[in-house]
Amino acid sequence: MKETKNITMPKLSPSMEEAVLVAWAKEPQEQVQAGDVLFEVETDKVVCEIEATEDGVLERLCFEEGDPIKPGQTVAVLRA
Amino acid sequence: MKNKIIYIDSNSLDPYFNFGLEYYLTGEKTFDEATVLLFWRTYPTLMVGKYQNTLEEINQEYAAKKNIALVRRMSGGGTIYTDLGGWQYGFITKNEGQEIEFQEYTDPIISALKELGLEAEFNGRNDLLIAGRKFSGTAQYMHNGFTVHHGSLLYSTDFGEMERSTKVSGYKIASKGIKSVRDRVTNIADHLKQPVSSQAFKACMVRHIMGHHGETYQLSQKDIGAIRKIAEEKFQDRENLYGKNPKCNLTRTGHFQGGTMKVCLNIEKGKITEAGIYGDFFGTLDKTLLEERLVGCDYQREEIRTVLANLQVNEKLHGIHMEEIVQMLV
Repeated sequence: MKETKNITMPKLSPSMEEAVLVAWAKEPQEQVQAGDVLFEVETDKVVCEIEATEDGVLERLCFEEGDPIKPGQTVAVLRA
Repeated sequence: MKNKIIYIDSNSLDPYFNFGLEYYLTGEKTFDEATVLLFWRTYPTLMVGKYQNTLEEINQEYAAKKNIALVRRMSGGGTIYTDLGGWQYGFITKNEGQEIEFQEYTDPIISALKELGLEAEFNGRNDLLIAGRKFSGTAQYMHNGFTVHHGSLLYSTDFGEMERSTKVSGYKIASKGIKSVRDRVTNIADHLKQPVSSQAFKACMVRHIMGHHGETYQLSQKDIGAIRKIAEEKFQDRENLYGKNPKCNLTRTGHFQGGTMKVCLNIEKGKITEAGIYGDFFGTLDKTLLEERLVGCDYQREEIRTVLANLQVNEKLHGIHMEEIVQMLV
């Protein structure tokens, strides 16, 4: 069985309680490479691109556009 | 923020060019060891946040009538109105970590204003205040490993135009979009002891922020060509201006001489995707046909007017003029 890895929401500032997932840049089952933008989040007037840190296939997207996400929550699952 | 500042004068009043320049400096032309400073202004422009619902934020009809430009920023936050009485500053820096930092970019602004005898403060919500009133809002985006921090400075902006162009009149939009909150605002020029021209203000701010070790970079013709391309393809594109609107449901009811008409529209990416027409009005108009024709139209007066004219609404409805329907809808 191939290894999976949870992609979690980073805490972008000490005061950040949640961020809104504003756009997915990838689709489920899409092949991604380290450095590819996976999704964008908005918090405190900042729009931030979150990039993949390793190669793999996006097995599952756990949130929809418009959803609030707390730091540490799993946003997507990547299969190596 | 790096120790070294490189100032680039955009020499342009075009909001699309200036936002194109910012974006250009995060990708095609980058300065890794310095922070780039921009300081520019534009002709009257509404700047909406990257994921805002444009239709909900602006008075589309007024903006069109007064030729106010519309541009979508790459950053978050709310809609702002700016004109030649305002300045936009920007810092572009290669990221060292992933953490969001605002104050290191607003501190140089506060410090520069001090030189002009002004006491400004950061309110912790990304705004700058003088005497408790906001004169600067800030926002950021992170792209390609760079942070773009930009802020507006109200110097002598026309607040009447600001209010009129951002006011949404009449109708109610039930939407998932995030509304911007308008704080009480003030112009910097009103707080200066001696009158200072807008250009002299800019020169003072730029000189102070650059410090002793700052450098300037002159845009080449090649740079300008590439920036214009970004401006056109990314910032002037209609899909980008209206296409990121969240799904938005709009219901309008009009009470006319010939009866009441209620129209429900579903608008996605600025286009009508569903339409329902109800009411107690009289005539021979085929309601289903009108609903069908509205689907696919841009949510704009001109297109809706054309649909109504083609269906001869004036001849087929009693006591309701098509212009009344257009006015009700948009």
